[in-house]
Amino acid sequence: MKSGSHLEKVLTAGHFAVTAELGPPKGGDAGVIRHGAAMLKDVCDALNVTDNQTAVVRMSSVAACAILKQEGVDPVLQMTCRDRNRLAIQSDILGASALGIRNILCLTGDHQKFGNHPTAKNVHDIDSIQLVQMVKRMRDERKFDCGEEIQGELPFFIGAAANPFADPYEFRPIRLAKKVKAGADFIQSQAVFNVEKFRDYMARVRDMGLLEKVYFLAGVIPVKSVGMIRYMKESVAGLDIPDELVRRMENAEKAREEGVRICVELIQQIREIPGVRGVHIMAVAWESIVPRIVEEAGLLPRPVASTGPTQGE
Amino acid sequence: MIITEQKPLDEILAILEGHESVFLVGCPICATTWGTGGEPQLRQMKAALEAAGKRCVGTLMPEESTCDQRTTRLMLRRSKEALEQADAVLVLACGAGTQTVAALVDVPTYPANNTLYLARLQSLMVSDERCRLCGECVLAETGGICPVTLCAKGLANGPCGGYRDGKCEVDGTQDCAWVLIYRRLHELGQEERFQVIREPKDWSKARHPRLIDKRLEGEKGESTKGGAQPAPSPGPSQREGKRKGGEA
Ligand code: SF4
Ligand code: SF4
Repeated sequence: MKSGSHLEKVLTAGHFAVTAELGPPKGGDAGVIRHGAAMLKDVCDALNVTDNQTAVVRMSSVAACAILKQEGVDPVLQMTCRDRNRLAIQSDILGASALGIRNILCLTGDHQKFGNHPTAKNVHDIDSIQLVQMVKRMRDERKFDCGEEIQGELPFFIGAAANPFADPYEFRPIRLAKKVKAGADFIQSQAVFNVEKFRDYMARVRDMGLLEKVYFLAGVIPVKSVGMIRYMKESVAGLDIPDELVRRMENAEKAREEGVRICVELIQQIREIPGVRGVHIMAVAWESIVPRIVEEAGLLPRPVASTGPTQGE
Repeated sequence: MIITEQKPLDEILAILEGHESVFLVGCPICATTWGTGGEPQLRQMKAALEAAGKRCVGTLMPEESTCDQRTTRLMLRRSKEALEQADAVLVLACGAGTQTVAALVDVPTYPANNTLYLARLQSLMVSDERCRLCGECVLAETGGICPVTLCAKGLANGPCGGYRDGKCEVDGTQDCAWVLIYRRLHELGQEERFQVIREPKDWSKARHPRLIDKRLEGEKGESTKGGAQPAPSPGPSQREGKRKGGEA
């Protein structure tokens, strides 16, 4: 065990893992996080907390993760390189460790242009691959980026994102290989809608021998409305949404119901693809639907959660 | 080439408020080529200032780039009489040229231009930013395409997940730098460079202000100030003890 996190235990025990995403509030109320925890605690193995997602200011992901921890949830700390330089990142990592946070997902971060502070300066002192490598060195070599020693353990289960669909897509697997080489233990991918293309990607990734080295969790997004699927198809980079799914949403009597059905079907199809070790549900502003999706996808009950203190070996 | 743009006339007039007699300086190199500080622009500026009720007591186009203090000093000396009548100098050059002039005259010196970027000149109409002067050039590893400048996030190890049809997520009219780099490396038969994990960049090389004094080269200690040390970039094996003790 590298971190002893619940997510790591579930994956190493060979279970098909379920993670979900929780966006922290645009305010200082811990109740929102506690509410999310109560809702999702029994239906997923770990909860990702986004880090000022789409460059919109929200409660700090470290703080929200700490609250989840109090609620007995295993949090995945999302950490982007947009807002912090290498000093701030390492300091937050130490703090996260002290708070018992054991999973970290290393991300580049959406450009500030898309958020609510478009005139801000971005940092990008290091990039996501360098962040993976930095956390790995902090954990395994107990060294800061500067080479100085760190006191004590930093047992983190290190994650990275993968986008199998960005076009041109010929070098996406190579990019994943780089993240694995840098030290990623698990991957949470961009949302899958095009199962064929994803299957092809996974075959290539498998041929490169990457799936023996990393746990791959495929992302899904439950779609709430026709407007949402159209918007995502047109405007969200890195998604590949087949026309057929848009048509299904358009023709459905109840769009939400169809959205749930599609999501459940996607999970079932994705699950059959060799090498997929779990699913990551990103129900943006629709977290309440997650329990139903997990249940209908046949993923309940979840392996028993361990809420006690976790230590690396 | 340093790309500049002329400030709006309103702003220039606001800057010159309270000044009557203005001396104009252009630049024969970048600002002439890009049309922001050549002879035509000096003439236009003179006319515009006079139309606004100012007196233009003289104009100067140095023989070398305005940022070359050696020639600019000489030429300002030759314009001594006109300069004595001036209560302000307006420089149509980049920020470096403007500061060069400012340090050589006794009256307030103002910029007529905003200084934008270091560019490739594609034509007299089109220039694009190519270098951010990072002090630690990576072009050898990136197919001659600069990710520090051309990637909106300055990523060092490949693209973010945001590009679409090869275009950057931040500006859909611009190519994703890393798609360009990957393709170029592929054409050059250097794909393996794409797989190398690059260490965090040594930004101390870009710490400003930078200064080089070649006279000190070969003497003991640092020959330069501001981080332009010729030390190799720290690889994983050299990381230990790097900057140990830190800086105050
Ligand atoms: S790597 Fe640095 S020095 Fe080289 S072109 Fe880019 S910004 Fe300029
Ligand atoms: S899309 Fe390409 S150029 Fe734009 S920020 Fe991402 S990697 Fe950089």
